[in-house]
Amino acid sequence: MGNGAGRFRPEGLDLTSAIRILQNAGRVDPTRFGTNRTEQLQALIDALCDLSVHDGLTGLVNATFFQAALTSELDRCFRTGRSCGLLMLDLDHFKSVNDTYGHHVGDFVLQSVAAQLRRSLRSMDTASRIGGEEFAVILPECSAEYALRAATRIHAAVNPLVLSAGAETLRITASAGLVWTEPKINPDPAVLIAAADEELYRAKRSGRKRLCHPPISQMQVTSEERAALALLRHQEDSHG
Amino acid sequence: MDSRGTARRYAVVSGKGGVGKTMIAANVAAALAEAGERVLVIDADLGLANLDVILGLNPAHNLYDLLTGNRGIAEVLVSTPAGFDLIPAGSGGRESTRLTPDLAASLESLLEELDRRYDVILFDAGAGIGETVLAVAGLAHQVLLVATPEATSLMDAYATLKILATRHGRRQFSLVVNQADPSKAAQSGGAVAAHLQQVISRFLEADVGASVRLELLGAIPSDPAVARSINRRLLLADVAPDAQSTLSVSRIARQLQSPAVADRA
Repeated sequence: MGNGAGRFRPEGLDLTSAIRILQNAGRVDPTRFGTNRTEQLQALIDALCDLSVHDGLTGLVNATFFQAALTSELDRCFRTGRSCGLLMLDLDHFKSVNDTYGHHVGDFVLQSVAAQLRRSLRSMDTASRIGGEEFAVILPECSAEYALRAATRIHAAVNPLVLSAGAETLRITASAGLVWTEPKINPDPAVLIAAADEELYRAKRSGRKRLCHPPISQMQVTSEERAALALLRHQEDSHG
Repeated sequence: MDSRGTARRYAVVSGKGGVGKTMIAANVAAALAEAGERVLVIDADLGLANLDVILGLNPAHNLYDLLTGNRGIAEVLVSTPAGFDLIPAGSGGRESTRLTPDLAASLESLLEELDRRYDVILFDAGAGIGETVLAVAGLAHQVLLVATPEATSLMDAYATLKILATRHGRRQFSLVVNQADPSKAAQSGGAVAAHLQQVISRFLEADVGASVRLELLGAIPSDPAVARSINRRLLLADVAPDAQSTLSVSRIARQLQSPAVADRA
């Protein structure tokens, strides 16, 4: 079975074959492979729903679902007056893993990181693979202090991650950025993501392998306020 | 004149360390003393104090000894060559890095006594927004927030201001912009004050449901004279009496001077 190469063409594919393909790919529960058309359609719908939400390689939720989940989680936090953390992780020098050992090893690394992330989450946390080697974790209902504690634990679970691939021992590290929302303030998901990205970028720039977050002394400054402070500076700079 | 509670109490706070808070406290205090005010500086930067270092002093006792009752006022007070009195904080003592609620209460009752002896009591609060800084700010009539135009300093200044506004009900702040650069639009004192006030108006006022005002008390330009004065453990006015930074400090002190004392002098 080709992996990503060649476009899947559904024309002329009958329902039974479609389900068989998804079943072979591990996407449909074999016990649900009914003969009745309604059952088959339901199995297909379930499989497609599953595919639309998850990242095929790691089984974590995908970027589209992550966006939706973050938006609804932020709304929920706003209603309940809680705060929410957002952790972004990016594997360091991942391209060289692919280049040196091949994509199958790269895929194995991504799957191992995902498994490790899943193990270190709390039950309400959502981990997502949002890009090639970039992961995001939504940490609902935690104060800045707890978000920092949870993020430190999650980051430590993959930093470093030592893996054996054949005769090789790989030592994977990750950079991470953490931000949080303030209770009673409804943040724009895009602003929060940009703020987390900025912290992640700071971690990359300052030598990788680390978790960066706004200073504890700024714990009560929201990402909106931070953005406004930075924006005003930027405007002034471009005038001057 | 009423003999009780006559001193005007200012707290110099910054959020971020290394923005010149202690330098400003020492030089403003000296300028006020020069203008004829009876000035006491209380170094409340417990654990990391360096006001005594800036002044080239080597005090035997400190604020912690005073608050715990181990020493009396007379043993702890230092008369500085700069013309003001100092209660040093002392550094290094592990137990003395926190102003616990007990010690804060002790400081408050001590102030009743000190209020009678001085026109101005200036607190050099530590960096950050720990309980010591909050307690000290709570004892002051006016909070002087020191910031540089640098992004992290602005964030920290805003964080400090926000916590004092939301948790301590403070509605009025005075800003001192250090290392200002009037030639760059974003780095003049006025621009920094306007930035902060805009963010305050947009976010903080909605949070606290009241008007929160930040007035620009003064801006001190980047000036090599400042580093020179610190290195030589001297006041700005002694090292470079005509430097821009020295003149800025004097302007700040004049704004803090009471009309009554100005007449007397």
